Amino acid sequence: MTSATSTAARPRHSAYTRRRGRAGLAFVTPFMIIYTLFMIVPVLFAVYDSLYTTRLIGGTSFSGFANYATVLGSGPFWGGVVRVIIFGAIQIPVMLAIAFFFSSVFDLGLTKFGRVFRAIYFIPFAVPIVVSSLMWGFLFDPGYGPFNHVMDALGFSNFNWLSPALVLPAIIIIAVWEWTGYNSIILYTALKSVPRDVVEAAILDDTPLWRIVLRIKLPMVRPAIIMLIFINAIGATQLFIEPTILNNYQAGVITNTWTPVMDIYSTSIQSGEYQLGAAMAVVLAVIVVAISVASLAFRRNQRELA
Amino acid sequence: MKDAADEDDGIPVEFYGLRRGTVTALTIICALFALFTLIPIIWLIINSTKTQANIFETFGFWFARPFALFHTFANLFTDVDGDGIFAQWFANTVIYSVVSGVGATILAALAGYGFARFRFRGSRFLFAMIIAGLLVPITLVAVPLFLVYAKVHLINSMAGMILPSMVYPVGVYLMRTYVELSIPEEITDAARVDGASEFRIFFRIVLPLMVPGLMTVLLLSIAATWNNYILPLIIFSNNSLFPGTVGIGLWLQHVGGSGDTNLYPLLVLSGLVMIIPMIALFAVLQRYWRGGMLLGSVAN
Repeated sequence: MTSATSTAARPRHSAYTRRRGRAGLAFVTPFMIIYTLFMIVPVLFAVYDSLYTTRLIGGTSFSGFANYATVLGSGPFWGGVVRVIIFGAIQIPVMLAIAFFFSSVFDLGLTKFGRVFRAIYFIPFAVPIVVSSLMWGFLFDPGYGPFNHVMDALGFSNFNWLSPALVLPAIIIIAVWEWTGYNSIILYTALKSVPRDVVEAAILDDTPLWRIVLRIKLPMVRPAIIMLIFINAIGATQLFIEPTILNNYQAGVITNTWTPVMDIYSTSIQSGEYQLGAAMAVVLAVIVVAISVASLAFRRNQRELA
Repeated sequence: MKDAADEDDGIPVEFYGLRRGTVTALTIICALFALFTLIPIIWLIINSTKTQANIFETFGFWFARPFALFHTFANLFTDVDGDGIFAQWFANTVIYSVVSGVGATILAALAGYGFARFRFRGSRFLFAMIIAGLLVPITLVAVPLFLVYAKVHLINSMAGMILPSMVYPVGVYLMRTYVELSIPEEITDAARVDGASEFRIFFRIVLPLMVPGLMTVLLLSIAATWNNYILPLIIFSNNSLFPGTVGIGLWLQHVGGSGDTNLYPLLVLSGLVMIIPMIALFAVLQRYWRGGMLLGSVAN
């Protein structure tokens, strides 16, 4: 890496600039080495591996896009993709609406004990998702879970949060519980940076408070909200731990292809079809990259409009 | 970096022209959501004191005799069902998170400073590569890592868990922003004029000024490894190397399979044991915590 800087003859630059350049490279090199070995190399290897197929007889041979054809034609895989899209399409708006509501209340000082509430709301961020799923699994358990008893008491007999129809809503509740605090802290910070005089001017004009929130504050934190939508969308494509853990409370409801990542895990690790699993991981990565590129393009567009 | 979240210079509520009782009503709504947030944790705390029979048969949100907390706690140190010892899994979690958290923070501090204050050939390209890495979730890298580990014999090794956990691109991004915004260039320039070497400048002058940012990155990177499930699940087949998350997952699988094990109290208490250190860490490091940096991590 150092040869790249020293062999390049660049008379414009003084010896001092070159020395500083080398120092800069030295600062970033430790990270770049670990990053290359444990992020870039594995991803490239997965792409390479996905082009091969191992057969019981005949060993491993190049198979071109055969694995991709299998993935793209796989009903369960796309079923999982559709499921996480439905999950994200409900969970993200619900969570962001709740997060925006509370961050506005905190920002305007409309509640007592705001600091205490903010600290409490942030707690789930410190809870491992395995443990969140464990706790909620106990609460939702059809046998002894208090939440089914509550529904029973409300007149819904034999209510089961973990039944095939309700397990997705149950997971949405868990995800809202996990991420609302984190998202509302981010929105709160964004709202705090809205200039105070804008709001003061609106108050002097006798603008009602809800209008100030929805017509003045909300548009000003739109960039943060848009970023949160995309970040949470990428998170939704990765849904894995909650369904995997809940599966232990109610066997048979959640299949091992329930979400794309569950499919990747069971195909590559449990069934040992590594190359097919790698192809699935690449396809999912392409979906994630597409979401990211869309977000960057969207942001650039927004900036030009502004 | 000034942290807006810690200030309270809001407009006095009286100026909003609200109906009487609005603040009270909103406080009640906030309290209800706080209750929703705390319910699972309250359940966990209460039930960590119960016997297995009482977990199933008594009201979930109140205590029941006998008080079994100490008995269950002792069982965390024994191999109850042949899967492994929770105390060891917990110790593994601590080792993985602390070592990789400290490593990730050091690497991020060095790289963030390098990208913030130096221009060199390829610096823009390398930084763009790191930004691309921000968007790749660890879940997607886990299976590829497994494929590579199988070739280089890193399956079932602590290094195989710790080294990839040191890759924390968010940290590099946050540290770069932090240096740009809160470390005046005049200070480092003055030291350069005095003839100090670049590394001396970094360790003696810049690093001490970076402490609040470092603490935030340390906290976030420790939490990321502490909570990681899929990577250790994939790369470890040797139970004694499991972190707490994977151990809990394994126990749950056995409970789901047979149903009549005596693992329930252990599951409840181990969940609680996994939560407490993280909440304590956030509480202790709160004065360094820059919640505002989270905004930087998404809305760059």
